[in-house]
Amino acid sequence: MRDFNFLADDILVDALLAEIAGLLQIFLDDGVSGSIDLLGLPLSASCLAALEQQLGKGEITAVLTAAGTSEFRETSFPGVWWSSHADETGRIVAMLIEVAAVPEILLAAQEDMRRGHKRLLEATLVNKYRKRA
Amino acid sequence: MTLLAFARGPALQAATLIMIAGMFWRLAGILLLRRRPAHAAARHSLLVRLSGGARTIITRTIPRRNFWPRVATGVSMSYVMHIGLFVILFAGAPHILVFHQITGLSWPNLPKGVIVIASALTLAALVALLVRRLNNPVLRLLSNVDDYLSWLLVFLPITTGILLSGETVAGYGTLLALHILSVEVLMIWLPFGKLMHVALVFAGRGVIGFNFARKGAAT
Amino acid sequence: MTQYAETLGEMLARRGFGRRSLLKFAIVMTSSLALPPGMAPVMAANLAKAKRQSVIWLSFQKCTGCLETLLRSSAPTIDALIFDFISLDYQESLMASAGTAAELTLRQAVAANPGEYLLAIDGSVPLKDGGVYSLTGGRSNVSMLEEFASGAKAILAIGTCAAYGGIPKAHPNPTGAAGVEDVISGKPIVNIPGCPPVPEVLSGVLVYFVSFGRLPDLDDRKRPLAYFGTTIHDQCYRRPFYDQGKFAKSFDDEGARQGWCLFELGCKGPTTHNACASLKWNNGTSFPIESGHGCIGCSEPDFWDQGSFYTSLAGGSATGWRNAGIAAAIGLAGGAAAALSARSKSSVPPEEKI
Repeated sequence: MRDFNFLADDILVDALLAEIAGLLQIFLDDGVSGSIDLLGLPLSASCLAALEQQLGKGEITAVLTAAGTSEFRETSFPGVWWSSHADETGRIVAMLIEVAAVPEILLAAQEDMRRGHKRLLEATLVNKYRKRA
Repeated sequence: MTLLAFARGPALQAATLIMIAGMFWRLAGILLLRRRPAHAAARHSLLVRLSGGARTIITRTIPRRNFWPRVATGVSMSYVMHIGLFVILFAGAPHILVFHQITGLSWPNLPKGVIVIASALTLAALVALLVRRLNNPVLRLLSNVDDYLSWLLVFLPITTGILLSGETVAGYGTLLALHILSVEVLMIWLPFGKLMHVALVFAGRGVIGFNFARKGAAT
Repeated sequence: MTQYAETLGEMLARRGFGRRSLLKFAIVMTSSLALPPGMAPVMAANLAKAKRQSVIWLSFQKCTGCLETLLRSSAPTIDALIFDFISLDYQESLMASAGTAAELTLRQAVAANPGEYLLAIDGSVPLKDGGVYSLTGGRSNVSMLEEFASGAKAILAIGTCAAYGGIPKAHPNPTGAAGVEDVISGKPIVNIPGCPPVPEVLSGVLVYFVSFGRLPDLDDRKRPLAYFGTTIHDQCYRRPFYDQGKFAKSFDDEGARQGWCLFELGCKGPTTHNACASLKWNNGTSFPIESGHGCIGCSEPDFWDQGSFYTSLAGGSATGWRNAGIAAAIGLAGGAAAALSARSKSSVPPEEKI
């Protein structure tokens, strides 16, 4: 994480909160979700902590284990999620604010469901054959 | 070769050598000129004559009281510019670094904020001096290419230096190249115009003081 | 040469990686490439549909450091799988075959992917004396480059040598070394300079190419803006010390131990464009400045000929005291001659004539 401190924390936090409010408005009007790439901004560790504190904690925490662990916490503002992705060594490789009903990655993908369905059917058939034999 | 590589390499070497050769040429050329022979005996010893020269260098830093009303503005603005330039060159960290790389000597620098203020004052004084030169009828009459060129070649390093330390308007590499090149042009011109006063002002006052002491006049 | 028909999505699924893994990979890559985060699902969808991308890698006048940096970079499993998918059809140091068998592999790779393969080059191209200073199987690099560039979709010049000539080009450049862009025109070229380049930069460029079918946005030196758009100085964690005027004066002095700015020790960070200060090396472990040595500017053209690595940007090449002395002597001689000539012209000063 980069360590910049030439911009005051509160100014940046204010600006980000305003941007999040803007993204929420867009979602409420058009249903289009948006995100902010936190690692792509010159935010110091203290600034990130201040932002996290301002956004607070909501009702849901979701953990994804795929190519490392990713954590999705809904903030105290419904629809505003703090997503943090780590690789298999535990190193944070992406951190985002996502404004959506739920982060897209949490939804099961059609392709995966199709494959899972196929696997499920095969499992049942095998069992059927086993019972017969 | 990039502009920066040229500025830090062959251009720097050429400018340095030209400036050294030029300064020695000019000083030798002046000091070896024929002087009016002094037929009277010296009033004081050599030591007193030399100290007279040294005293005059110092006493002439301030104009005589009876001239003060007429010259106050010009002298004050000029001092602001010169002192500001001194602060930038000798108390600014990057320039101390240059001297250190040439001579091995180093000394503490002043905070960047002080240099910023000094730069602003120097630039303001420099511009004010040009405005004065253009508006004053006598000065305008007397001014020639030497005056305006010397002004420009001092203005450019200060301006490029301010932009460089603020890292604004253009990329660092470009600003640094322009700053170094502008200093090099100044270095090349310095021995051949009125900017040679960097050495001659002290030499001139010293010689006058020495001669006055020889005659027994006040210094 | 067998062409695999399965897509990247199918290959990953076969290995037990569902769409979520791919989307996560795309989220990370989007961030690395400085693309808007909303592009991640698009990238993931495109990657899922992607067919195998052929890459032909030719090594010219090089030290093999660029290849080593890519091999040594320990990528997480999914990254490694994706890069296996980007099929490295020909690479002399890595492939098992050699000699004429290798040449046959190269011909087959080109024939199987005409106009579609990516040509990766590391090492400079020596041009002097007909390019005789670097030959593969008796054939000059410049001749190989011209032939294989003509059938490539795009060319990746990997490392400062391939991009700008690098170390072989350093004065006096005895082999006439040049970068790829000095030899080839009329083909899209991406320069990925660095000595060696940061591995993630190559990954980013390849993923972008496979996802979007074109090269990422480049600056005026043909470098990907996402990684070379800022200088080391702009991203350096020691920048607050620079701004406060806290500089290390010598290696291992008190300032150096406090981690102060290395400008006075010759750091070329302000004039060097690269991603080292943000991406760092060895999976984000460190980079030269963090380890206490100033940046040497290795991703810039002619970095080897900019004078000492330990002379700060505030200085340059010295004339030396000997040359200064000679200049002074010439000045003295000239000035004395001028003065003597003036003296001989005037007789007694006019005031004395009464």
